[in-house]
Amino acid sequence: MIRHTGWGTCSVAAAVVAGLFGTPAQADFSGQTIEVIVPFAPGGATDVAARFLEKYFERHLEGNPNVEVINREGGGSILGAKWFEANAEPDGLRLLFTTSSTANPYVLGQPEVEYDLAAYRVAYGLPFGSVTYVSAATGIKTVEDFVKADGLIYGGIGAAASDLPTLLSFELFDVDVNSALGFTGRGPIRLSFERGETNVDFQFTPVYLTQVADTVAAGDAVALMSGGYMAADGNMTERDPAVPDLPSVHEAYTDLHGEAPSGVEWDAYNAMAALTLAFGLTAYLHPDTPDDIITLYADAVERINADPEFQEEAKDVVGGYPLTLPAYAEGPLRAALQPSDEVREYLIKLLSEKYDVQF
Amino acid sequence: MEHAVAALGELFEPMRLLALFTGMLAGMVFGMMPGLGGVAAVSIMLPFIFLFDELGGLAMLLGAISVVYTSDTITSVLLGAPGSPASAPTAIEGHAMAKRGEASTALGVGFLASMLGGVVGALTLALAIPVAGPIVLALGTPELLMFAVVGLYFASSMVGKDLAVGILAGCMGLLLGAVGPAPAAANYRFTFGQAYLLDGLSLTIVALGLFAIAEVIGMLAGGGGISTSRQVVSSWGPGLAIFWKNKWVALRGALIGTFGGFVPAVGANASTWVAYGDSMRSAKDKSRFGKGEIRGIAAAEGANNATVISDLVPTLLFSVPGGPAAAIFLGALYSFGFYPGPRMVSEQPTLLYLIVWSVALASVVGAGICFAISPLMARLTRIRFALIAAPLLLVMVAGAYQSTQTFGDVAVLLALGMVGWYMKHAGWPRAPVLVGFVLAGPMEQYFWLTNQIYGWSWLLRPGVLVVASFIVLPIVWRFIVAMRRKYAPSAEMEAVLLSGDEDDPGTGPTVSRLVLAVLSMVFFAYAAFESIGFRPNARLLPLLAIVPGVALSIFVLLREFRLLWQQRAAFRFDARDEYPVAALLLLYGLGIFLLGLDLATLAFLIVVLTRFAQMRLAYAAIYTLILIAGVNGMFKLMRLSPPEGALIAGFTFT
Repeated sequence: MIRHTGWGTCSVAAAVVAGLFGTPAQADFSGQTIEVIVPFAPGGATDVAARFLEKYFERHLEGNPNVEVINREGGGSILGAKWFEANAEPDGLRLLFTTSSTANPYVLGQPEVEYDLAAYRVAYGLPFGSVTYVSAATGIKTVEDFVKADGLIYGGIGAAASDLPTLLSFELFDVDVNSALGFTGRGPIRLSFERGETNVDFQFTPVYLTQVADTVAAGDAVALMSGGYMAADGNMTERDPAVPDLPSVHEAYTDLHGEAPSGVEWDAYNAMAALTLAFGLTAYLHPDTPDDIITLYADAVERINADPEFQEEAKDVVGGYPLTLPAYAEGPLRAALQPSDEVREYLIKLLSEKYDVQF
Repeated sequence: MEHAVAALGELFEPMRLLALFTGMLAGMVFGMMPGLGGVAAVSIMLPFIFLFDELGGLAMLLGAISVVYTSDTITSVLLGAPGSPASAPTAIEGHAMAKRGEASTALGVGFLASMLGGVVGALTLALAIPVAGPIVLALGTPELLMFAVVGLYFASSMVGKDLAVGILAGCMGLLLGAVGPAPAAANYRFTFGQAYLLDGLSLTIVALGLFAIAEVIGMLAGGGGISTSRQVVSSWGPGLAIFWKNKWVALRGALIGTFGGFVPAVGANASTWVAYGDSMRSAKDKSRFGKGEIRGIAAAEGANNATVISDLVPTLLFSVPGGPAAAIFLGALYSFGFYPGPRMVSEQPTLLYLIVWSVALASVVGAGICFAISPLMARLTRIRFALIAAPLLLVMVAGAYQSTQTFGDVAVLLALGMVGWYMKHAGWPRAPVLVGFVLAGPMEQYFWLTNQIYGWSWLLRPGVLVVASFIVLPIVWRFIVAMRRKYAPSAEMEAVLLSGDEDDPGTGPTVSRLVLAVLSMVFFAYAAFESIGFRPNARLLPLLAIVPGVALSIFVLLREFRLLWQQRAAFRFDARDEYPVAALLLLYGLGIFLLGLDLATLAFLIVVLTRFAQMRLAYAAIYTLILIAGVNGMFKLMRLSPPEGALIAGFTFT
């Protein structure tokens, strides 16, 4: 029963314990079960990734614990996050493995959010990449054509969902794109693109590589840019290693205008692309989780990244990116989760005025 | 062809056959449990598929997917509670037949139709995979919108004899479907600040609440066995003969179902209702629908099984799952390193045919097993109601609770259960609620997408015209027939007048009718009030339900008052004996909230078993403990944690 305690009691208790005795060092997870809470339905991208990682964490975490993936879907991931907030403990045994669906409402301050994401610690992350492409029927060949084009239709799920970085990139480039929002998933959007109903689309890299790259190679679609990859300074300025031939949003902008993007449009893109792509999948831990537990996860991440079987399989399943170490993730992730007031106001204004999102 | 033979050889590896049959057994058990359908079966199997090689693991999932809609027939017919939402028509018609003592006919036709649906689905899969690409691509957003409209039109044939309450029920369904996020405006509707409602209501819970809770209340209050006459499931002869007579109906159902499966997000539920509506339209004598019409079963069972299987067509061709169970299957394909898509057809033909064979084999063998176990199941219906109702209720609560694992699941189940219970007694048709609920989402989504992409030009697309002809042609045909017969009353009107709901409540004023009339007035008035604040794009669909809803509520309420005034003497407090059970059920819900599942169930079951099943306290206690252990085991198996009590949790920490 004590597991279902609220933060208040728990953090006080933890602080008292830590103050009196010092945190007992945890050598390993042997004989333990680690629960990975996925706040989405089974079979979705997050669930697939969580289950894919299951065996590697069982193999490489010190003590070879049993890792179990548990789905708690509902409320667009908010219910699962809420449950995690109420039921996690600083023992490293329960993780919340989630996406920007949980982070965006937090950043935008939506009223249903009852979790303090920026206070959480991070066990590991798995980046995503994205590729924006257009139909060959538009006649667009280059980014320059794209910026000047009209009659562009983009299909999306919702402006405040995973579409946000792509929509922000349209703002950054000042492209005239009409969006048809309200699709149920990126799969149906891709079908709609193939039917010629929409002519601008983005897909996450694993799907792009397996489903769209052929269409691009056949000349039926033109890939324009990737969403970018996080550089060491925490900005989304590098080329995506999964699609090394494509420029990032940052690079495409620089090539087009002769100078690097700046201003609130870039800051907003940078923050939301970091949340959606660089921290596309993040495993969060209780805010008071001690450093020695974080170290256990960090060691496992390094061993998994070096595991040749992981390197081979990850190419197909999750786009081939290495796992992110907690030390690299926490700082930039907190920054992206708590953008400046200027960026937040810009996002809220854009979403409510252009995309009719209610706050 | 050689791929097909090779695939059969692959499947007949002993371990893979074992996997297929294990999956099948799990699927059958889950199909029989109300509220736990294919999705639950497949998600429970998911951790176990890795015990086998990749083809074996996939066969296991396919086994489960293929039989859920076969075995759910047993529950639907014998208990009247739909084994899964898509078998609600079977529950309506089949249970009415069971009450007449024709359970074995209903079951036999149901199984055979399911099997036919499965085989047609598998055949379609085999034939469609090489050629279906262009078909799926030809179905654009406007065509999908038109399908939803056709579905709603077909639903109009289910409104029953009282047009006003029938349409009112449909409007209620549309409004229930509008709860949650609006697709076109990022506006949350009717969520009352509850994160639970942000995703909208779960179909499983709506279906269980409307249909099954009312049955359980009746079962608990009624005492005795489930059927008034003995449920004899002995001779399959008549079932076979009657199935043969209705083979074309079942085949039509299967084809409708197959088509529904091609289109992502239409799903087994919608296409089952469309097939049911179609069987009603094509029947000469429509008066028997709702009272145990075998055609309804044949069509519905043919359709739901065909749909889940042809759901795999878009899944395999485009990686776009056709339904929730197919979505999980897709996840499994990914985790085995298979990437479905047009390329897979040419690169992995053996895998594709293995899928086809698995599905076909499971459908046939599954129907066979169902035939074998039905007599056993029928015997269960002769023991006391309360003895079955108790575990049934537990399974339903557990099934509802697995949706999001929050108390909201239980609360919505019980709230809708009360509505369904009143509807049953007041003679309001419940099917239109479910149809409205199922179609509200796709209709609204596709309307706005179509509108954003095409403006109004979509109305002239050839595909849209073809689909629209499903509505227009029968109307024109009827019109011609009617013109020829001139003064004869039209068959259409007769159908509307005659097709009643499952229970005939009589005509006098009753408490249930009054309560429902007031309830629907409040419901629509509140919805109208809240919808004022919506964005225009989020308001259209709710208004489509609210405007007729408010008008009809006023009409029905006035009519009930007038009836009450005119027939004061005939006013009845109907179903009085069921109120204590209903109250107990609500208390049980409150108990789960405060004390958690185990304690609340303990108290509830002991009261129910001693009071309503006349069990002795000691036996009741033992039975209760077994059931609680069972439900906890089920939660463990599904990797869920059972509901905890708010009060208990509070005590532990302070």
